[in-house]
This record gives sequence, structure tokens and C-alpha cells, in this order.
Amino acid sequence: MPEKHLEKDAILKVVNVDGGYVIRYGGRPVKFIHAVDNVSLELYPNRIVGIAGESGCGKSTLAKIIYGAIEPPLEVKQGSVLLKVSEEYEDLLKADRAYVAKEIWWKVISYIPQNSMNVLNPMKKIRDSFIETFKFHGMAVDKKEVTKYISEVFSTFGVPVDAINAYPHQLSGGMRQRIVISLSLLFDPKIVLADEPTTAVDVVTQLGILTSLKEWQREKKSSMIIVSHDMGVHAYMDDEVVIMYAGNIVERGEAEDVFNDPLHPYTKILISSLIKKGEKTIKKGIAGSPPDLSNPPPGCRFHPRCPFAMDICRREKPPSIEVEKSRFVACWLYAKR
Amino acid sequence: MLAICKEVKILSVDVGNYLLYVDRVTKFFGYGLLGLRKFKALDEVSLSLPLQEPRLFVLIGETGSGKTTLLRIILRMIEPDMGSVYYKSKNVFKLRSSEVKWYRREVQAIFQDPYETFNPLRTIDSYLFDVSKYLLSIGKKEAEALVDETLRFVGLSLDRVKGKRIREFSGGELQRISIARAILTRPSLLLADEPVSMLDASLRVNILNIFKDVRDKLKTSVIYVTHDLATAYYVGDEMAVLYRGVLVESGSIEYVYNDPLHPYTQLLLNSILEPDINIKDRVKPIKLSSIEIKEFLTPGCKFANRCPYVTPKCNKEAPPLIRVNGKRAVRCWLYTTSSNT
Repeated sequence: MPEKHLEKDAILKVVNVDGGYVIRYGGRPVKFIHAVDNVSLELYPNRIVGIAGESGCGKSTLAKIIYGAIEPPLEVKQGSVLLKVSEEYEDLLKADRAYVAKEIWWKVISYIPQNSMNVLNPMKKIRDSFIETFKFHGMAVDKKEVTKYISEVFSTFGVPVDAINAYPHQLSGGMRQRIVISLSLLFDPKIVLADEPTTAVDVVTQLGILTSLKEWQREKKSSMIIVSHDMGVHAYMDDEVVIMYAGNIVERGEAEDVFNDPLHPYTKILISSLIKKGEKTIKKGIAGSPPDLSNPPPGCRFHPRCPFAMDICRREKPPSIEVEKSRFVACWLYAKR
Repeated sequence: MLAICKEVKILSVDVGNYLLYVDRVTKFFGYGLLGLRKFKALDEVSLSLPLQEPRLFVLIGETGSGKTTLLRIILRMIEPDMGSVYYKSKNVFKLRSSEVKWYRREVQAIFQDPYETFNPLRTIDSYLFDVSKYLLSIGKKEAEALVDETLRFVGLSLDRVKGKRIREFSGGELQRISIARAILTRPSLLLADEPVSMLDASLRVNILNIFKDVRDKLKTSVIYVTHDLATAYYVGDEMAVLYRGVLVESGSIEYVYNDPLHPYTQLLLNSILEPDINIKDRVKPIKLSSIEIKEFLTPGCKFANRCPYVTPKCNKEAPPLIRVNGKRAVRCWLYTTSSNT
């Protein structure tokens, strides 16, 4: 039953978040790139939510805000990210940064980055990277026990145990990505935020990594947010999918509904332009290009490329309309007038 | 099935029948301390494109399979250690200096990242005019007409591009301009190295359609290098699969795609993540290669380490290229006849 998850409380609520990048010149702000515009979403236990969209649509910015990793030039103008920690909601955007780093990150919410080479210290063996993580989170470390624990984690992700004595450069890209993933799942976090976890690896490795991630999630009953531009990844992984366009959420719903019956014109064209296995018939992509986020078009941000654009689309921003239970679309075509 | 397979014999071919004939190209790269030890980055790779009819040839392989090295050799950027490349009956590494310019006009390339192809300080149209000036030696008026016509072919126009720099274009538009720059000389062969992997899904299909147009309207053959099998089938006529520098399977795309013979091709095809929510059952992924260099150095089949059908022979001896049905070739011990094994 798709509504079953709604009976529980959300473990993460993103409420009306508005944020973007401030470009300064000589210390004075000259430009604001509005990358995330009034976005709200909820994450329920034991669910995988995918955030899909083209490059520059704000999906990675949204991931950064959810994780609470806000550093200049990124600024959040308004909104809150409420995370459920021991039965109470805490606003990640207002909490003390040192407390979040020590108690929330890794333990409650964990982050899988895109490029593993930027994460592992090239001067340190894999084992030392793990030990450092344990120490930072105030856990007593016994070297033998650590090795045993790590080898357990590694076996879930198909990493050979001898990799712990290797330096990052000695391992292949797929292997490093698996190590980074096992590192971020070390403390069984309740929420895993994966930002393009498999973009830098090959197709064969990609399937392996995603399958182990999914198996881990089903076993631990954690929740996951997957940010990716690859609709194949979303079709494989997601329970729920969020489609973003130019900083707005244009459509949200159960993955099956969104893929089989897309509502928003952008989603419709996006899904019909995807090339499936064994297809040779001529397809059409979306004409034009995404708008400049420092000066977005008025009204609906998709209207210059939309085949169904009406007068109201050019003037007013469409509201998020709940067409069915937990199925949202931001388009004037679905507004009751 | 096995009865119709026979060993490929090395024949002296008449390169005059081919637009491009890559003949057993081998390239060594160094590794280890100071790069003193060598491994074969390309191991006797052969492929050909017919002269009469333009083809869209797809070269498939993962990172480190040698596909970019092969393209660089065809472009004369690096020289092979063994083997040679013939283009319209001429050995491209033995061209006279006057012929090099001809070769640059005839064979053009586009690359993966459109943002790195162009200098951010230069205007985009200056690239197009440079090509017409240096490679085509035509006057300004003529060049303007040609540039505009070519840009319109890829869905842009000179007015839209003139005087602008890269930051004013999106990735998709820049890749269109890259294609326009490459086809400006009306080459007979276009090499495209992962041209759509940096682009968004909704823009990919537009670029791929341009490649189809290039083949059908300009009669230019295209070598399209990718790791994405779904787009390969969408555009391709023929394909070859590279694994660790070895060509493991090649042939008409209909055959290779619909009935892959080599276990590696089968694995690649099964690993495609389809953007289709209704597909739930997928094959279990098989084990990853941990250290690539070991696979390059093995004396047997490079895929033996990961292959589900591995036999002791695979680890010892490299399989020969076996022609099946006369239309395709595969390099695997599974398809040798009993007399060969």
C-alpha cells in the first residue's frame, strides 16, 4: 500500500527552504543565484526518495542544505530542515555546527559524495581513515576489533579485505567508491544522503554499488535520499521521486506513478526523451535550455520551453497542487478554476 | 552453433576498399616506478569502415579499456608501437607534410567535455572562422555563409553565436557548436569521444539525432565512443567492444546487441539501468575487478578473473578472434571449434 508510510511520522521535514549562492564583488553582494526556491518535502522511515533533474536545477544545493553543510557562498534565506532526533525535531539550520558535526552527521544523517578521490586522504591507508572516523565520534578503538568490524562492513559491499592496507591510489575508482560508501554507513545512520553516488563509475560497477546500497537499506530499514540526473538510477532505486526544474519542485509522487503517468509537461518530455534498451525510433528532446537562475523568468520557470504555456504561466508562479494523496504537481494545467 | 565458427585467418587485405582500416594496432604504456615496466594498453586491435557507404560505428568500453587511446592513434596524436592505420589507402603515420592538412580536413573529432574544448576568453565564432581560414583557405564572405549553414545544420545560427563566449551557452549548445566546428570541413570521418555523457538526459537525444543527420545527409562516417549501450543501439550500425585493450567482440549492432556472445558484452548489456520503472528483475552483478593492472598483465583472457564461465585454459592462453556467421567476431574460448581447442 503506497499510503502506509504516511501513518508514521516523517523523520525529516524540509519546510519552505529558500537558498542560493551570493556572488560578491569587493565584499558587496552583486548577484544572487536562486538555486532552491521555496522547496518543501518530507522523508518517511524505510523509504528511498530520489531527487531528479538536469544539471543546474538545484538538486545538489538542496542536498547540501538538507545535510546542513552551508558554507559561503551558499546562503539560506528562509525555511527549516527538521530532523527527528530521539522523538523530537531539531532544526539543522539553527543548531550549533560543532554539535551537528559530532552528534548528527554520520550517526543520524550521513552523506555519500560523488567523487571518492576527493574524500579519502591520499597520504593515509584506508584503515587509518576508518580509525580516524571512529576517534572523531568518540568511540574507543581497539586495532584488532576495528579490522574485524571493517572486514564485516567490506564484505557487504564486495570489497576485498586486503584493501584496508592499501592507499587510495592503488584501488580502482569503483572500489574507492565502495569504500567511501561503507565508511559513510559505518554507524548505521537513519538517513543516507547520496549525491550522484555512481556518476563517476562504469555501468557494471554502478549496478553493483546500487544493488548493495538497496540491500543495505532494506535490511537496516533506514531512509535514503538519492540525488541523480540519471533516470535509470531513479527507476531502479526509488520509492518516491521528486522532479526539480530550475530550483523548484515541479512534480512529486510515488516513483511508479511518476514514471508511468507523468503530469507536469517537463516530466512528460523528460520521460519520453529517455532512450530505453533496444530502441531505434527517432525521439525528441526538450527544445531550448534551462533558465539563468540569477534572473529566472517570471511565473512558471518552465514556461519558455513548455508546449502548453498559457498567459497565467507567464505571470504567476503555479502553486503545488495535490492531485491525489501524496502526489504533487506545480502546474497551472492542474489548478481548479 | 559451434560448427559454423572458424578461426579468423590473417589475410593481406586490400586497404583500397576501406575508408579506415586499423590494422593490429598495439600500444604500450609504462607503469610502476618511473614508468619503466610496460603493459599493453591496446593489444592488436583491428577495425575497419567501408568506403562506399557511411557507417555509424560504436566503440564500447569501460574506463581504462583503451578506447580513447585508439581514437588518439587514429587522430595521429600518438603513434602505435606496432600496427598501422590506413585512411583512404594511405598510412596515416607516413603522410607527407602536404597531406597532413588534407588528413585534418578529412578526419575531425569532438570531445567529451564541451566546457573544456573552448578557451573561455575567446569568442566562439572565432574557432569556426579559424577552421575555415586555415584548413579550408576560403575568404571571409564565403566562410560566413559556410559557418552559418553549418550552424543551422546543428540547430543554431551565426547570429545566435556571433561575438559570444562559452559562459553564454549551455552544455548542449556548446556540444552542438563543437559538432559544427568538426563538420565545417565536411570530413569523411568524425570521431566522437563520449560526446553526450556530460549532458542531461533531455538534451542527449538531440545531439544523437545530429549524428544520425551527419551520417545520412553529409555522408560522413562516425566513430562514436561510449560506455552507454542504450544510446549506442539508438544511433549505431556496427559496434566493437573493448576490454582492457583487447577487442572482445565486434559486428553489426543488431547481432551484437540482441544476441551478445562474449560474457563481457552480456554483462555490459545486463548492467544497463533502464529508465523504466516496470523492470524489477535484474541480474545479480558479478564481482568487481580490484586492481586493473593485474588484468592487463595476465597472459590469458583479460576477462577470466571476472568471467562466470571461466575454464583453466582461459587463465593460461589468450583466446583468438573467432569469426561467427561471417558477420561478427568474438574473442572467447567458448566459441572455438573442437579442432581448435
